[in-house]
Amino acid sequence: MNETTTQQPVIGSVLRASTMGFVCGTRSQDIGHPSFGAFVRTQHEPGSETEVIGLIYAISIDDDPLVRQLILANNMNTATTRDQRENRMVPVEISVVNIGYIQAGRVYHNLPPRPPLSLDPVQLCDDACIQQFTERFDFLRLVLNTSEVPTEELAAAALLHAASARPPEQRYDFLVAAGRQLAGLLAHDLPRLQHLLRLIKPA
Amino acid sequence: MVVGDTLFPDSDRLEDWFPRETAAPASGLMMAGRRLGVVVGGSLSRGLDVKLDRETVIEDLAVGRYVVVRGSHKRFFCMITDITLDTTNPAIRSDPPDLSDPFLREIYAGTAAFGTIHVAPMLTIDEDEGEPRPVKTIPSHFMPVEIATAEDVDDVFGREDPTHFNIGAPLELEETQINLDLRRLVERSVGVFGKSGTGKSFLTRILLAGIVKNQVATNLIFDMHNDYGWAVKDEHGVQAKGLKQLFPDKVAIFTLDDEATRRRGAKADHIVRISYRDIQPEDLAMLKTTLDLSDSMIDAAYELQKKWRDEWIDKLINADPALMDALKEELSSSMASVQALQRRVRRFERFEFLRPEVVADSATEILNHIERGKSVVLEFGRYGNALEAYILVANYLTRRIHAMYVEKVEKALGDESLEPPQLLITIEEAHKFLDPLIARQTIFGTIARELRKYNVTLLIVDQRPSGIDEEVMSQIGTRVTALLDNERDIAAVLTGISGAGGLREVLARLDTRQQAIIIGHAVPMPVVVKTRTYDTEFYAAVTADGRPAGAVADTKIKTDADRARDRDSRRIR
Repeated sequence: MNETTTQQPVIGSVLRASTMGFVCGTRSQDIGHPSFGAFVRTQHEPGSETEVIGLIYAISIDDDPLVRQLILANNMNTATTRDQRENRMVPVEISVVNIGYIQAGRVYHNLPPRPPLSLDPVQLCDDACIQQFTERFDFLRLVLNTSEVPTEELAAAALLHAASARPPEQRYDFLVAAGRQLAGLLAHDLPRLQHLLRLIKPA
Repeated sequence: MVVGDTLFPDSDRLEDWFPRETAAPASGLMMAGRRLGVVVGGSLSRGLDVKLDRETVIEDLAVGRYVVVRGSHKRFFCMITDITLDTTNPAIRSDPPDLSDPFLREIYAGTAAFGTIHVAPMLTIDEDEGEPRPVKTIPSHFMPVEIATAEDVDDVFGREDPTHFNIGAPLELEETQINLDLRRLVERSVGVFGKSGTGKSFLTRILLAGIVKNQVATNLIFDMHNDYGWAVKDEHGVQAKGLKQLFPDKVAIFTLDDEATRRRGAKADHIVRISYRDIQPEDLAMLKTTLDLSDSMIDAAYELQKKWRDEWIDKLINADPALMDALKEELSSSMASVQALQRRVRRFERFEFLRPEVVADSATEILNHIERGKSVVLEFGRYGNALEAYILVANYLTRRIHAMYVEKVEKALGDESLEPPQLLITIEEAHKFLDPLIARQTIFGTIARELRKYNVTLLIVDQRPSGIDEEVMSQIGTRVTALLDNERDIAAVLTGISGAGGLREVLARLDTRQQAIIIGHAVPMPVVVKTRTYDTEFYAAVTADGRPAGAVADTKIKTDADRARDRDSRRIR
């Protein structure tokens, strides 16, 4: 785990956190990598036992007084726009929902025992980590029960991420297996199930 | 879609989508011992519900198939009685997913929508005891259900040995075989039923070949359509060997129509002739419906016999008007009845086997053969199409032989070494003999009812079991039934069978060829078999290891120990 950790870019640092999830802040030019539904991980300190695994469910850019004024101004030049984007005082916020943790090499699809601390670095998970974490599908239940999040879209995006982390010949079978798990979880709610299956259906 | 996916090939070649039979992976999945699903509910009285595994192809299952539930220390033998489609959410019925998409199909199949089978538990084998017993309990939840293996089937039906005869394979388990306990088969009456064209006579021939080969009983076969003696052509014109060709030393052909027998290339051992003197009024009573006789005509027959003794038929046929006038004074019956009776009886004149003069007693000749352990096939030749000839002869001979048997058995006073051998009488169109109106009076009704007391049992072959007297039907120990589709016939066959509801579905869905369900005394549990093919392989099997003919008498008579063993509780019906 640890040797691959360094290969993945750090997308930000923890801004605020709870056991349910956390928000990581970053500069606006650093948001090229993270995307909706991506798997991220955070470690309190390098080499610590527990890594929290989460899914990105929202990326938001808040306003600040300067941008409000700039929007009202006419004839804004590109330099000003770039300056506002790159040097603004308010960080881009990446919201993450916790879906499990890895402790001593073992995967738990459960809420982490304690949240990450502020300013802990947040990285995207590499393919090996995603494969290890998605060998079983118990995390889907946590995702589907999350409130204030479009859960079907989040679960679908996460599964597509997890599928693309696998070799091409395994992707179809992985999605079928995930679909069967979903069919069990959402047996009571067929419209949701059908919508979700349409979202993860391979092209 | 993944390349190389066998279920949904990415190809425009038709063969990839619909592989030929040989390449179909599904057929290989239905092998013996393969897991089908798990028990999820049910009860002893209603049967068990089994949720099928996702991999189980529901279309490959069939009612009547034989499955085993492996409990923690018992094996439960069950028969599939129903197959259902189930869903976790009933709402899916109103909004079914688009299953033209292979991805969705793979997901929904076995999860939100799945198959269940209903199985009737019939026997258990405790791993410690090894003996099959009737079910008194059911397996616990989530026990695996598998297709029965050859070993399972043998544990229940017994291995092939001198008294167990391989009759065919259980449904869809071609590599296993059902071995029928022939001793139990012949010790009570047997019925072979099935609508016409379902292979009743081939089925009967296989049973008879087994009985002759293993010498468990001697047969007397009233061969209406010349199906059993020398050779028979099946519907495709292929000639199959009759019993005489298979067992020349153990079978004798008797014939009523020597010409027809010779024309078919066979040589009759004896030509049966019956004298008018031997025919009794009660033989006519059997023909009541066939000859359209009224009660008063039968009364007249009794009266005439009393007057003229043995010559009554001869005299009646030849009676001229003057004699009839004279009779008018003497008889209490109306002359109209007597004249009507005369017209009916004159029909006998076209039967060449009926002779006015005294002839050698064919019944004694048959009995002599039987006592030597030789089975007798009585061919009717051209008279097979005349129902009255068939009924008359079968009834007459059986009455005589039965009387001799009764006498011999009673003389033996329980000493089994003196008793005549077990006799199995085969009759076709049995409902004509065992009609509720006449079954109480006829000899066949008597034989069926008095069971094995006199070592005579019946093998009745019929296509309308509903036409057979209910009391007689209840005495039929083993019922071998090919396809029946008439509701009343199905109900008649299943009378007195426990768990009949499930079997009804099985019975109505048998194939029209080579499939039969065997229920009753000879089998520990009802079983659907694909019967053996009656071909050269079969000939070789029944003739190869047969014991030398002649060494009959001592092997076929049962000892008390045998009977005691047979009575044990292995049986459910």
